[in-house]
Amino acid sequence: MAVFKRGYERYTGPRTGALARFLVVPRFAWPKLLGERFVVVLLIVSLFWPLLCAGFVYLSNHASLLPGLAEAGDAVQKLLRIDGAFFATFMNVQSTFAIILAAIAGPGLIAPDLANNALPLYFARPLSLASYIGARLLVLFGLLATVTLLPGLFVFGMQASLGGSAWLAAHWTLGQGMLLGFLLYILLVSLVALTLSAYVKWRVVAGALVLGFFFVLGGAAQIINQVFRVEWGSLLSPSYILYTIWCALLGVETPADAPDAGECLAALVVLLAALLAILLRKLRPVEVVS
Amino acid sequence: MTPLIAVDQLRVRLGKREILKGISCHLGASGVGRAIGLLGPNGAGKSTLIQTLLGFHRPAAGTAKILGLDCHRQSRAVKTRIGYMPENDSLIADMTAVAFLRLMGELSGLPAPAALEKAHETLFHVGLGEARYRKVGTYSLGMRQMAKLAQAIIHGPELVILDEPTNGLDPAARQRMLVLIKEMKEQHGMNVLLCSHLLSDVEQVCDEVVILKDGQIVHQCDLAAERQTNRRFVQLHVSGNDTTLAAALREVGAEAVSEAPGAWRVILPDEVEAAVLWRLTARENLRITRLTYRRDTLEEIFLKAVGHLPPAARPEVTHGGL
Repeated sequence: MAVFKRGYERYTGPRTGALARFLVVPRFAWPKLLGERFVVVLLIVSLFWPLLCAGFVYLSNHASLLPGLAEAGDAVQKLLRIDGAFFATFMNVQSTFAIILAAIAGPGLIAPDLANNALPLYFARPLSLASYIGARLLVLFGLLATVTLLPGLFVFGMQASLGGSAWLAAHWTLGQGMLLGFLLYILLVSLVALTLSAYVKWRVVAGALVLGFFFVLGGAAQIINQVFRVEWGSLLSPSYILYTIWCALLGVETPADAPDAGECLAALVVLLAALLAILLRKLRPVEVVS
Repeated sequence: MTPLIAVDQLRVRLGKREILKGISCHLGASGVGRAIGLLGPNGAGKSTLIQTLLGFHRPAAGTAKILGLDCHRQSRAVKTRIGYMPENDSLIADMTAVAFLRLMGELSGLPAPAALEKAHETLFHVGLGEARYRKVGTYSLGMRQMAKLAQAIIHGPELVILDEPTNGLDPAARQRMLVLIKEMKEQHGMNVLLCSHLLSDVEQVCDEVVILKDGQIVHQCDLAAERQTNRRFVQLHVSGNDTTLAAALREVGAEAVSEAPGAWRVILPDEVEAAVLWRLTARENLRITRLTYRRDTLEEIFLKAVGHLPPAARPEVTHGGL
């Protein structure tokens, strides 16, 4: 019978579980995000660098293909080596796309809910605040993993396949380091995007703030270092913090007088905790005026 | 039978202010479609009570239960069984009504195909069938209210909490909303907790009423019983020799007290209709000059409860007379 002829009846059928309910938010958000032109264009553009790196990996494993390359000197051979420095550079470049993507896609996830006062509708349902945040993080995780983790693992997998088991046995920590490094990165970028969009509610401003958070703070950190002739100012730069941690995970050396990976990790934990605290404070079903 | 809402010594603090000051009450019963009105002046704690029932606020002391489940500790179980229509605009503006309801249905635990089906069904039910593919942000105020109602009932909850559902509606839309609320309890067996400033809405729809003032319950009554009681209580003014009237009224089981010459206060038994009085007075050669019953309107109950009307001041509503 046609729906309009049937009339309303109370639903009495089976209910889905907590996991299925948790996945409802990403299921509705992903198609919407992929419907945005900027997001699609950026997703495509962000795959150029991994393709270039994949080409480089192929080339480094087939040096004989190019005449003269096999007989080149140490400097060229070092340049062609697939090691921690190669993956650190790969991650550094690819992470820029992730920031821009988060700046475009992130604010659209929470800001509209706040602007439309939709949070009471979510929280009046069997969805906790933690689940809501987790679901929103999952939306960004899926998107950012597409431009960071997946291409990274593809390049690593390609090198492992071309380099053989000997290379993999000697360099498996690179894959592990990249995985962990990108996970930390996605977590930070996602939290920054969600927190700033929860804070300002206005999508455009929130997007600009996400970019500013990474690029302006990096500049500010440099200014502090120069003005006060210190090195700890770098701890204010999220990009520097993450790059130092990546280098540690990938076994790449960093400048000796700069904050080390341990200090950067501590700064990252403080930063993540602060972002989460702000997010929890802003995401309330009802505004309480004390 | 498990009460629908059981509140026991509930205290809720927001910041340093105590909003609910140890309130206790049992309202409704599970499995019976009843509507409960929640009334009170501004700042009485109505919204805080609703939000506490929804698990938005943690009680400082005491408990709040819905259908026997603790609203704070068993929040998830409670929320699968209730629907909530907020007072303010709470919609996802850039979604079509169907997508919006589907999302809300799935979040409430409906499987995806059932959520889609129910979204269409519910939108037709509330009168938004033709506009269901329009974005909710383009809806008029009345349509938004209906969309809010639809999202509250899509999953067939046992209790629907409606916060000012007729806000901003024109008379026709308001009447339609009230009809829908009545249908929810009478035809679909849902319980309704209705918070409204419009006493006539509450009176029209609700079976029970709770009145809050300054974070405390100042009055709780069963409106149906109240109406029944009032209907039995009649003031009668007659002309002629009324010495035999008391005996005549006793014949039909009515109790009568003479207040002054020609003025009687009569309590009719449940099974006796007021029309009997006309027959009896005619038989006793008396002429009814005035027949009134004192009817406590909800407005009077409310004003007395919140202290704006002294208990003795009970305006009479004339219902007949010659």
